[in-house]
Amino acid sequence: MIVIKPKKYFEVCIEAELTPELATKSLEDVKKFRVYYGNRVVELGELFEVEKIGEEKKLVLEGDFSRVKWIGARMVDGEIVVKGSVGANCGAFMKGGRIVIEGNADDWLGIEMAGGEIIVKGNAANLVGCAYYGDAVGMTAGKIIIEGNAGNYIGEKMNGGEIIIKGNAGDFVGTEMRAGVIEIHGSCGFVGGDMRGGEIRIKGSFDLLPSFRKTEKGWVGDVNVKGEGIIKSL
Amino acid sequence: MLWIKNGIVIDPKNKIKAEKMDIFVKNGKIVPEREVKKEECKVIDASGKLVVAGGVDMHAHIAGSKINTGRTMRPEEMRVVRNIAGKFRATVGRVLLTAPAIGYEYAKMGYTTSFEAAQPPIGALHTHEELDAIPMIDKAALPVFGNWHLVFKCIEEKNLEKLKALIAWAIERSKGFGVKVVNPGGVEAWMYGGNVKSLDDQVPGFNVTPREIITMLIKANEELGLPHSVHLHCNNLGVPGNFQTTIESIKLAKGFSNSKRQILHVTHVQFNAYAGSSWRDAASGAAEIAKVVNSMDNVTIDMGQPIFGHATAMTGDAPFQFTLHKLTGARWSNKDTEVETGAGIVPLVYLPNNPVHALQWAIGLELGLLVDSNKVALTTDYPNGGPFTEYPYVMAMLMSRKMREGELSRVNAYVQKTTGLASIDVEKTLYEVINMTRSLPAKILGLENKGHLGIGADADIAIYNLNPLETDTSKDFEKVYKAFKSAEYTIKAGEIISRNGEIVKEVFGRTFWVDARKRVDMEAVMGDIKDYFQYYSVQLRNYGVEERWIKRPERLEVV
Repeated sequence: MIVIKPKKYFEVCIEAELTPELATKSLEDVKKFRVYYGNRVVELGELFEVEKIGEEKKLVLEGDFSRVKWIGARMVDGEIVVKGSVGANCGAFMKGGRIVIEGNADDWLGIEMAGGEIIVKGNAANLVGCAYYGDAVGMTAGKIIIEGNAGNYIGEKMNGGEIIIKGNAGDFVGTEMRAGVIEIHGSCGFVGGDMRGGEIRIKGSFDLLPSFRKTEKGWVGDVNVKGEGIIKSL
Repeated sequence: MLWIKNGIVIDPKNKIKAEKMDIFVKNGKIVPEREVKKEECKVIDASGKLVVAGGVDMHAHIAGSKINTGRTMRPEEMRVVRNIAGKFRATVGRVLLTAPAIGYEYAKMGYTTSFEAAQPPIGALHTHEELDAIPMIDKAALPVFGNWHLVFKCIEEKNLEKLKALIAWAIERSKGFGVKVVNPGGVEAWMYGGNVKSLDDQVPGFNVTPREIITMLIKANEELGLPHSVHLHCNNLGVPGNFQTTIESIKLAKGFSNSKRQILHVTHVQFNAYAGSSWRDAASGAAEIAKVVNSMDNVTIDMGQPIFGHATAMTGDAPFQFTLHKLTGARWSNKDTEVETGAGIVPLVYLPNNPVHALQWAIGLELGLLVDSNKVALTTDYPNGGPFTEYPYVMAMLMSRKMREGELSRVNAYVQKTTGLASIDVEKTLYEVINMTRSLPAKILGLENKGHLGIGADADIAIYNLNPLETDTSKDFEKVYKAFKSAEYTIKAGEIISRNGEIVKEVFGRTFWVDARKRVDMEAVMGDIKDYFQYYSVQLRNYGVEERWIKRPERLEVV
């Protein structure tokens, strides 16, 4: 297990693909792991205190990581526990393993994720589980659970997997969604624009586009794209 | 001063077929041995290596509003980092490259000249700003004429003098190089949601047909004596059955002649060489087109070869782009360029197991193989067919039947019955392929100092780690591909700019433009131009590009 703590307040964002893979390396190698601090390449040890306890494939990030981007990106197994908030792109392209965030998550959480699990105890920002800039397909498998609220564009272009939001969400939930499930226990804004498939379940109130028709299964659409997606109350 | 020693030179323009010889360079030009002091020369030992002229790409979309809109539309393209800023500029791009990346990638491959193939005259300032941002290569842009209201008016009036004056004026104002025609009449029809389907369809709102547009523009171009001929993107591009239209268009060059060059250049013919009535029964029309092109001595073509992988369709052919968007469901952007032309952009991926893509890939190769190698230039119509960085793949494929067989086995079997590619046993020689990438495109464009290594030519030279006397291009296709992919030396105007596929020096090439104003009476058209500016969003005095705004302009005057 590797424990990482920030040494100072970061003035600019850090881009660091910290994955549980680090726990398989020696402490020296972990300290030498190269990260971007603004436009400079630096070693992890320069910005963070690093400690190694045992051989378990696990990362524990203690403190405020809200300016550290790409945590857990492309990870395949193991576990990351963040005792604080994380920056953007956390869990991007991940294929397996587990990320637990005790604080809040920033934009682009779990984009294009293809497996594994992300649990956010606080709130998440925009674009959870969606496709990265310009790509055609978002999240394809895995599970994202957000205990608090989430922002706009949740599950855009989603093609599988599951997103569960215990609080409220913003507008444009499941835009261009093709498959998978989005569950919102609170309320949200506009839902399912250009949706082709999949299911969105909402407990509270939501805004429905006029392009959905009412059936026994729930609201089906988006008819503009001959979609068969389902929106229903939880 | 440079002394390239003991290289094995192939120079099709000067009929040099793999001869061991020395080349001398002084002041950016190739000079005879007596003009240099050997002790002052920097010597490059090219023993056992291929020495050829720098490559000339005669048709690529490298600058202007189209590629820039493509970049904006495709942020995913910008994730591939090619160079991190340091000694040279940061470059990114998978297929849609940033401006410096375009220059660097051409240079790494041994290419030193590239032409932007379609600039709307009103967008000329943007095109030239971008061309100025492309390092390493010499460049120019071809303004488009085939859908301009004022061109239609001249043709309706059958007023050749007025049309000539308009062309001379527009080329000067846009600092362009020649006459490009994109889907003549079709883009204007698209302004009303339509297209033209044959050479004799009337263009909506004007009493002209595509046949008249092409013929009048050829006449005007020949009477002006421009260095390049009319550069035609045919009607019905991307429509199965369109090879007939292409053949009809090619035949419009009959009756004209020019001792220096072709009368008509038909571009990216692969996209215009489909037989059949729909994409379900589409087949190759390449053999028929090749027969017609081979039988005429005043027409040249270029391939427009698709490369499997990512590409972005961007042409001035706006109606075709909409059809493509409807066909693939991909993103689409449409551009309407005031009263002059239009354009569209659609992202694209060519997949080997897709029957249509495999067919397109095979047709491109068929054209390259079946047409005489002094009539077909090698292009991918970058970025429509794919990246220009894969030219070495096309070169190797043309030279090796064995490589083609290997590739054929991994593409959709649909090509086996709809094209003749599998049965073509032509293997182009290295000499022919060097011609298709150097001497021929330079000749087609009318660039006398490009594409060869004769005395007085620009010292744009590429040296490849390939011994033409010992290499069997038919068997060693992997070696050929590797050698052409990164030039051992790329020399631009006498300076070494790239070495073993690494940039060593950044230089800025010239921008060529043609001035034919002395050949016309400008007053013949100025009244109409002033009149037409009531329909423009800019005023006449703000229209166009001044020579002093361009980094390194070079005026080619037609007298």
